Amino acid sequence: MTKPKVASDWLAGCAGCHMSFLDMDERIIELTKLVDLRATPITDLKEPDKSGVDVGILEGGISNTYNEEVAIKMRERCKILVALGDCAVFGGVPAMRNFAGADAALKRAYIETESTDDSGMIPNDPELSTPIHVRPVSDVVKVDVFLPGCAPSADAIFYVLSELAQGRMPKVEGEFNNWH
Amino acid sequence: MIQLTINGQPVEVETGSTILDAVRKAGFNVPTLCYHPKLVSYGSCRLCLVEVEGARTLQPSCVVPAGNNMVVHTDTDKTKSARKFILSMIFSERNHFCMYCQDTDGDCDLQQAAYDEGMTHWPITPAYKPFMVDASHPDFILDNNRCILCRRCVRACTELVGNATLGFEERGSGSILIADNNVPLGESTCISCGNCVQFCPTGALIDRRSAYQGRETDLTHVNSVCMDCSLGCERVVKTRDNRLVRIDGNLDSGFNESLLCSDGRYKPVAENRKRVTTPMVRRNGQLEPISWDEALSAISVQFKAHDSSEISAHISPRQPVEALSAFHEFFADHFHAGQVALLGHDQTAIACAKLAAEIGAFESGISALKDCDIAIVLGTDMVKDHQVAGFFMKRQAMHDLKMFIANSTRTTVGDWSSNKLDYVGTDYTAVVDVLRSFAKGETANMTEKLQHLGLKPVRAEKVLGQLHESQKPVIVLGKEIARAENYAAFRDIVLLAREIGAKVVALKGKGNNFGAALLGYEMDAQAKSAPVFFLALGDGHACDHTRDALAGSEFKIVQASYASEFTEMADIVLPCTIWDEQVGHYLTSEGKLGLNQQAIQAAEGNKSVPEVLKVLAGKSGLTLSETWRTAVEEKVAAIVLS
Repeated sequence: MTKPKVASDWLAGCAGCHMSFLDMDERIIELTKLVDLRATPITDLKEPDKSGVDVGILEGGISNTYNEEVAIKMRERCKILVALGDCAVFGGVPAMRNFAGADAALKRAYIETESTDDSGMIPNDPELSTPIHVRPVSDVVKVDVFLPGCAPSADAIFYVLSELAQGRMPKVEGEFNNWH
Repeated sequence: MIQLTINGQPVEVETGSTILDAVRKAGFNVPTLCYHPKLVSYGSCRLCLVEVEGARTLQPSCVVPAGNNMVVHTDTDKTKSARKFILSMIFSERNHFCMYCQDTDGDCDLQQAAYDEGMTHWPITPAYKPFMVDASHPDFILDNNRCILCRRCVRACTELVGNATLGFEERGSGSILIADNNVPLGESTCISCGNCVQFCPTGALIDRRSAYQGRETDLTHVNSVCMDCSLGCERVVKTRDNRLVRIDGNLDSGFNESLLCSDGRYKPVAENRKRVTTPMVRRNGQLEPISWDEALSAISVQFKAHDSSEISAHISPRQPVEALSAFHEFFADHFHAGQVALLGHDQTAIACAKLAAEIGAFESGISALKDCDIAIVLGTDMVKDHQVAGFFMKRQAMHDLKMFIANSTRTTVGDWSSNKLDYVGTDYTAVVDVLRSFAKGETANMTEKLQHLGLKPVRAEKVLGQLHESQKPVIVLGKEIARAENYAAFRDIVLLAREIGAKVVALKGKGNNFGAALLGYEMDAQAKSAPVFFLALGDGHACDHTRDALAGSEFKIVQASYASEFTEMADIVLPCTIWDEQVGHYLTSEGKLGLNQQAIQAAEGNKSVPEVLKVLAGKSGLTLSETWRTAVEEKVAAIVLS
């Protein structure tokens, strides 16, 4: 049996969920025996295989048009999509911006900060993605497994991945279902 | 009794029980949010929906009465999906992001309900509509964004505290929690009792001092007794790493029903006076640190150098019975000191002890206040003193309890009642005379007596006219009518109460006032300067007359927890443990002996009053007995009706 392929990416998050993933320490070796780790933000390969992967993992919420593209691409290329952490599951800390709106947030960050002089301006290069209303991943694409937590514990991540690697759908419950 | 079946299991409950009561009695559970065992059920959150066979729709179990032969199911696909849907709707309404809420991980009922339903995400995206945050109050913050509109706070404020400050404005999902007619909480009629914060199931009411200080499970919980007034409310002191984080009312308390007043809940946590850390002696006009041994030896030398009558000893009612007993034994019994007195001037406990010695036991427990058909409140402002007892009165005033209130200053305790009669003044003899006439139904020639007190005859007739037929009258006595000059009126009203079967509740000043009175203390209202003045202030305060007496004394010894004008003028200062740092007994106003448990460890160098007295007694070749308990219990039995 070939090992299931796993790819991950991060969107509007803090990378903390991926740090928590690394926090499983030596169990990563155990995990790599079970799965084929493909593209991740912390490996050389940056995009999920065109031929597709078995499990896609997304950390972070959807806060701009680029996040949307990444999420859609991951969904297209994976069989099972895992929303990893509170930002991917709920919108998380970036979603606080929604209460004020992206325009107000950009103005505060680029013009009104105490250290900004009169030349402050909101970046407007056409190459840049556009900030949008922050949403959980499940608002853009279908999510199969929700693993909330800020960040989810290494134990919870290991449990979810090892279940998926062995062809079972993980049940996120008990201490692994922790919204913080 | 009613018999019904819950999830196939037969159960019998009392008539008037709800389906929820039956469900829990049968050993099952349905989640709740707006329901609280201390409050009248409201049925707003719908989380407790159950399936009742034959009923057209799911039924809210917290408000639907259990009926005979009902067949109830709590965990069907229908109820489970309803619960999930309700929670999804609640999460979608406002800002319920757990990761930046102060009330999380087991402390939040909403989060717990979601966990219990196995929710891992929100099926409905939140609306992100911002709501008003009111941070104008010094003790807590009201964040409408976290509110689930369960109105537990509103009901606690009204049903339990009788204050009705909190309420709602707007409708439906736009409802917002406000104070009064939407004024900032800090400028409202809020009395800062904080019971709303304790009743809030989410993070909508935020305790400023304990927010983000750890989850409930991170805190050490110690059941203890509040020492601020003599009610002795049962409370839970919550600490972390030997630091006081928060004080809550004890939910299991039948006495104070989880309620606390602002003094009990916030004063100890907000304490910011500077602690005395080491014994000090005055040398060349300056206080200098010395060792305990040197300090106590110096005090012992002074005691030996003076005639016993030249010693004046004063102690705070915030000290445990152990300290009061040892203090009295040491200074009064062994030394025959010129004055051994308790700080303060509330004579109620002393008057009760004196009267009981004459006429026998006459007092009833505080619970009499919770269920009465007329309340006669003489000489106490229950809005300022003994506030929790005041809550019991105020909430009944909302149901138009007949109330007659006499006090030298106007009190608002009865203001909700339309059957209230207020006398502002101090002529308690005339007040008791009027009450006697009404109690005996002898109301001829009343007009003159009433006019003398400035009372309107029509109103007086409305409130007191049926006093002689009243079934559950209660008479509350406080510090003004208990003054020595009013003793005759105090005696008369108690005798009248006995005649008409009214229950008498006497509210006995601060802290351990009752215990002190039974140990033979006088009040230090006539504190006199003396060649040697020993002031066991502890963590309490003392009045101006005590300060003046101390100032005029020659050798001043002050044992105190905090630096103050008293320690500033002392010749010897001894550091003292505070209430939460010591184990000790406490005699409540209704004569219940409670044990206060130590919640925090005192810093090295602090000693309790009994510890100091033990050493001082040793230096004088004395041994202090510890046999106060039997004497106190016997004396209580002679005053309070069992």
